[in-house]
Amino acid sequence: MTISILRVLPVAAISAVLLSCGSEEPTMPELSFEEALQEQLIRAQAGDVITIPAGVHEMTRSLSLNVPGVTIAGEGIDASVLSFKNQAQGAEGLLVSADDFIIRDLAIEDTIGDALKINESNNVQVLNVRTEWTGGALSSNGAYGIYPVQSYNVLIDGAVAIGASDAGIYVGQSSQIIVRNSRAEYNVAGIEIENSTFADVYDNVATNNTGGILVFDLPNLPVQGGRNTRVYSNDIIDNNTANFAPEGNIVASVPAGTGLMIMANDSIEVFENNFTDNGTANVLIVSYLINEIPITDPNYDPFPEAIYIHNNQYEGGGETPDSEPLALLQSATGQAIPDIVWDGMLASGKTAEQALCFKEAADTSFASLDASNGFAQPSFDARVHDCTMPLLAEITMSLPSQ
Amino acid sequence: MISGILRSAFVSALLTLFAACSDSSPVLHESERPLRLSEWNLFEITPGALTPHGSTVVFRPNNPLFTDYAHKLRTLWLPQGAKADLVNDELIYSVGTILSKTFYYPRANNGGLLKTSDANLGKIDLRQNQLIETRLLVRKSEGWDAFPYVWNDEQTEAFLRVAGASKAVVLSDSSSREATAFTYFVPNENQCAACHTTVHPNGDMHPLGAIYSQLNTTGSNATDQMLARGWIDELDFPRTASWQDDDAALEDRALAYLNMQCSHCHNPQGAADTSGLNLDTSASAAISRGVCKPPVAAGGGTGNLRYGIVPGEPEQSILLYRMRSEEPDEMMPELGRSLIHAEGIELISRWIAEMPGSC
Repeated sequence: MTISILRVLPVAAISAVLLSCGSEEPTMPELSFEEALQEQLIRAQAGDVITIPAGVHEMTRSLSLNVPGVTIAGEGIDASVLSFKNQAQGAEGLLVSADDFIIRDLAIEDTIGDALKINESNNVQVLNVRTEWTGGALSSNGAYGIYPVQSYNVLIDGAVAIGASDAGIYVGQSSQIIVRNSRAEYNVAGIEIENSTFADVYDNVATNNTGGILVFDLPNLPVQGGRNTRVYSNDIIDNNTANFAPEGNIVASVPAGTGLMIMANDSIEVFENNFTDNGTANVLIVSYLINEIPITDPNYDPFPEAIYIHNNQYEGGGETPDSEPLALLQSATGQAIPDIVWDGMLASGKTAEQALCFKEAADTSFASLDASNGFAQPSFDARVHDCTMPLLAEITMSLPSQ
Repeated sequence: MISGILRSAFVSALLTLFAACSDSSPVLHESERPLRLSEWNLFEITPGALTPHGSTVVFRPNNPLFTDYAHKLRTLWLPQGAKADLVNDELIYSVGTILSKTFYYPRANNGGLLKTSDANLGKIDLRQNQLIETRLLVRKSEGWDAFPYVWNDEQTEAFLRVAGASKAVVLSDSSSREATAFTYFVPNENQCAACHTTVHPNGDMHPLGAIYSQLNTTGSNATDQMLARGWIDELDFPRTASWQDDDAALEDRALAYLNMQCSHCHNPQGAADTSGLNLDTSASAAISRGVCKPPVAAGGGTGNLRYGIVPGEPEQSILLYRMRSEEPDEMMPELGRSLIHAEGIELISRWIAEMPGSC
C-alpha cells in the first residue's frame, strides 16, 4: 500500500515538472515509408541489407546512402519500384557515396534528374537494376540512368536503362569497369564510358538510342586520359532515335543513327559485335576537334589512337546520315555511309595506322573524312589500316560477395 | 528500507528534471541522439519567445547562405574550459562545441509568412514569427555530427527528423504584397553532410558559417563575446568581402557570393569536382571558374546553353540559368532552396555582364 502511493506521487510530480517546462508531451510525427527508408539508409551499418518490398513506392525527395558495406535489395527488376514521378527535391533518385555497395533487383523510375548516381565509391555492384523514364524519349527526362562517377571497381550486370536524356548507363572518370548483360534503349547514349580507364563492355544490347555505345574522353576534368576499353559481343542495333539531349551537353552533338562512337580515347578494342541498321554509321571514330570547341587544357589529347576493330558483323546502316558532312558524302557517292567512319584527324607525328587498325570481312566498308581540310578529300581506302594491335587484357575484379 | 531507496531515487530523478528546465547550462549529448531539441537546453522556450541560453553567443557570418528568405538565429556554445584554436586560418573547436541555427519567418496578417530581410534578432518573438526548424552541429569526440529538428505548429518543441521534413509555405513580399507558395525542405542528415563535408567523400563535416573568415561582420560583436568568455585567444579576424557590401568591388562581391553558395561542393576536393567547375577562392584558371567552360554532366541544367559563363553575356551563361531555375535537377545549389535568390542573381548577372572577353 505504502509503496504504491510512493509510486503514484512521484509520477504525478514528474508530470507536473514536465508541464512546467512547457513541453506538454508534444507528439513525435509518424514517418512515411519514404522517410522510414531514408532513415534506414542513414542509420545503416556495414553488412546491412535494406530491402525494398515488391510494389510501387512513391518518393518525393532524393534518397541517399553514405554508409559503406550496405546492400539495397528489391524483389525483382519489375517488382520493386521506387517511383519518383512526384519528386519535388533532389537532383537524383538515389545518391550513393559508399564503398562496397550493392544494389539489386529493383527499378528506379521517372526521377527528375539522374536516377542512380554513385559518386567516389569503390567496389560497386549494380545487379538487375532498371532505371526508366516511362514517358518515352523526352528531353525533360533526367540526364543519366545508372551513373557511377570517380569510382573504382564497378560492375553493372543485368541492368536495363530506358529513356535517359543523356546516357542510360554512364560510367565517368572511373577505372576497372565491367558493363555486361545489360540493355539500353531509347536513351540519347545507350552506354557511355567517359574519361575512364580499363573497361569491358560486353554481351549488352544497345538499341533505339541516338547512339548505341559511346567511348569518350573530354578536357578540363580532374580525371582524363580515357583508354583501355574493350567493346565486344554486343548487339548494337537500330540506334536511330532523334537526339533529344539538351543543347550544350556533349552528347547533343551525337548524330542519330550512330552505332558505336569513339571520341579522343586511346587503346580501344572493338570485336565480335553485331552492328545492324544504324542509320548514320555503324562505327564513328572522331577527334574532340570535330566539336569545334576551343581546347584550353594543355594536358588533354583530343585524338583517338590505338583503336583496333576486328571480327565484327555489319548489316545495313549508313542510309540516313544525321550529319551534314556525311549527308554530303552520301549524295556525292550515291552510296550508304560506310560501316566504319574516321574523321581522319591525326596528332602531329602520328600515322594513320597508329590511330586505327582493323581486321574485318572483305566487304566491310570504310571512309576517312579528311575533316581537318573541311572534308575536301575523303578516302575510302582501308589498306593503310590493315594492321593489328596487341589485344587488351580482360578486366578482372574481386568484389565482396552478394 | 525499500521505500527509502525508492524515495532517494525519485528525488534525484526530480532534481535532474528540474535541472533540465532551469537555465543551468546547455547539455552535451555525446552518444545518444535526443529526439527533442529541448533536451539540449540551448533555448528557453516560453509561449512568448524563443531565447537563446545566456551562455551561448549569437553570431552571423559575413556571407550567409540563402535559404528561401528564411531568417536565421545562430548560436555558438562551448562547454566549460573548452576553446577554439586557430590552426592554418581555421578555427578548431573543442569537443563539446554546439552550433545551432534556427530558421523562421515573420508572420503576415493573412496567416501566411512574410518575406523581409533578416533583422538578425538575438531572440525570437513567437507572437510575430513562425519557427520552422533548428539545425545543430555538434562537435563530438569522433567529429562533427548534424541534427535536424523540426518545430511543431504550436512552437512548443522541435523533434529530430533524421530523414528531414517538408512544409508548405506561402510567403508574401512585404512591399509588393505578392504571395509565393512553395515547399520548404528541411534537410535530412545526409543532406546536412552533403554541404558540411567539403572534402568528398572521406572528409569530416565542419562548420561553414562560424569560421575564421566569416565572423568579422558589421554590427556583430560575436568575436568580442567569444574572447570575453575565454573561447578564443585575441585574434585578428580578417574582414572578407561581403556580397551585400555595395562599397566593395563587384568582382570581390561576386566571388564572395559564389564562394559561400557553391564552394562547399564546387571545390577541387568537393562532391562536385566531377564537373571540373571550382567556385571556391583558390586561384584557378578562368575556365575552372566556368568561363567558356562546356558543361560535363549538366543534363537539362545546361538550359540549352554552351558555356558556364560567357563574358558579357549573362543570358548565355549556364551559371546564371541554374541560379534562376527552380527545377530540382537544374537548379544550383541543389540543396537548401526552393525559391530563387533574386538579389544574388542580380549581382552575378551584373558581374558577368561587365566581364571582359568572349568565348
